[in-house]
Amino acid sequence: MINPEIQAPHWEWYYIAMYFYIGGVSAGAYFIGSLLELFNNDKLRIVSRIAYYLAFPLICVTPVLLIADLGRPMRFWHLFFYTGDAIPYMNTTSPLSVGTWALLVYSGMSFLSFVNVLVEDGRLRQPGLLRAHAFFVRIPHKIYAVIGSFFGFFVAGYTGVLLNTTARPLWEATDPLIGPLFIASAVSTGAAAIVLFMARQKIGTGEAFEHLERFDCIAMLIESALIVIMLIVAGHFAAPILTGLYGVLFLGGTVLAGILIPLWLYWRGTLLGASGDSVVTITAVLVLFGGLMLRISLLQAGQL
Amino acid sequence: MAKGMFVDTSICTGCKACQVACKEWNGIPGEPAHFHTVPDRPYAVAFNFTGNSYDNTGKLSATDWRHVRFIEQFNESRSEARWFFSSDSCKHCNDAGCLNACPVKAIVRTDLGNVFIQQDVCIGCKYCLPSCPYGVISFSEQTGTAHKCTLCNDRIHNGLGTACAKACPTSSISFGEVVELKKKADARLAQLRSIGHTKANIYGYSEAGGLNVFYLFLDNPIVYGQPLNPVVPQRRLFKSAAITIATAIAVAVAALISFRDRGMKNREEAKNDKP
Repeated sequence: MINPEIQAPHWEWYYIAMYFYIGGVSAGAYFIGSLLELFNNDKLRIVSRIAYYLAFPLICVTPVLLIADLGRPMRFWHLFFYTGDAIPYMNTTSPLSVGTWALLVYSGMSFLSFVNVLVEDGRLRQPGLLRAHAFFVRIPHKIYAVIGSFFGFFVAGYTGVLLNTTARPLWEATDPLIGPLFIASAVSTGAAAIVLFMARQKIGTGEAFEHLERFDCIAMLIESALIVIMLIVAGHFAAPILTGLYGVLFLGGTVLAGILIPLWLYWRGTLLGASGDSVVTITAVLVLFGGLMLRISLLQAGQL
Repeated sequence: MAKGMFVDTSICTGCKACQVACKEWNGIPGEPAHFHTVPDRPYAVAFNFTGNSYDNTGKLSATDWRHVRFIEQFNESRSEARWFFSSDSCKHCNDAGCLNACPVKAIVRTDLGNVFIQQDVCIGCKYCLPSCPYGVISFSEQTGTAHKCTLCNDRIHNGLGTACAKACPTSSISFGEVVELKKKADARLAQLRSIGHTKANIYGYSEAGGLNVFYLFLDNPIVYGQPLNPVVPQRRLFKSAAITIATAIAVAVAALISFRDRGMKNREEAKNDKP
């Protein structure tokens, strides 16, 4: 039974949807980077390094967005410590609480990986960080790559679970598919971010591009399957994301520009042989745009 | 023992004394009428009047912790009519969606079973708002925190009943031990059924783990604006999380397939085979 009188939280898209999106891109990129590191893929080492270069700076932006949306921003630390007894606190039935801790762990792991690549590339000169690096370098990279990608996935997916475990009609009706959708979109946009970075900096091999695009393609196919299932499951409750402004953003931005056109470009590229740099860039930009539109349309349409 | 309220809507007269008492005891400001001018009208018109019977707030909010609903119903020829009143508030659910969702333990259950928001702990994340299956809990821009009925937390911990129950002139709202109130409710239900109110029902024995503030309605709860089968959102959490984890595993497998070398080599060979 879905009750239409459930209150909307009035989360602002420029804070919360942006957080969902940036956190997803960062976690998706980190996952790809750590996976390649785990399997010692030396030929694709460049992809892994760029993933780490992107993941940490992006995740640094997100706490600012989250805190800015609070009614009492200066009390954000209550998320970690209960003020009554100053003991660390986590509410296991609240995705928001568990997700905050996951975000903290993920930030830490992506920071370690970030410092690691900086040192490897000889770009780090700050003595304090170098000393810290000399200390933690003894821990095998793979350990924090695994922990980081686990919590990265958590950061990418919990936001969808958070929306699904509410009583708002659209979010309740689409349960349990927003979480999976955000996971698929996170890895797809993460791969696109790496591709875009490599294309802009004119680094990376043709092989790296091909692998990333192939993975992005699979992620987008999973994403489109999840969208179809979500629309079927939601039935008439899906109306807010199929009509009006959010219908345009969702169908035009996410489905058409963010999934169908990139898939078509990729398919055309494989038929015609290697595609040019401009096509690669355009595809990546479209995927990134589609991911943002997905977060904005699902968040805002659920609050109509 | 859990304290609560039993709201017998069959004897409510819609006087709104409960709304007033709630505001007075809890020091919540009233919403003044806001007037504006309308073309073709010589006098100012209030734009925050609901226009729905005698309803003056329309809903529960951060400053309206009690809301008397007025339900006017007519048959098609308008020869017959009925007028229901129902004083609504937070139900202090035993499985409270807001409490489950609160990430900072601002929302707590006291020893008397009422669900209470600690104003000095709340960070204003607003996650409790969509988590309440009744749409009760509300956010205040003035304080930056969430607000709702406290079951007069200060009064009940000092041996008094709630302000609304105290003010109710027909004892439609009664305060006490939930166990005792249930006996009273069952007796009243039997009485109403025996005089022909066949649709009369008690709302709140099983909903959301049992409601500490429960109701006697003369018709379907939907008529009174209450959901028939409210689902506490967190009861779906496990399934939602499990399917998300399953997708994450599927994506990881897809990544392994896309990034392994063998696939690429086969492709290169296929390309080289072409004349």
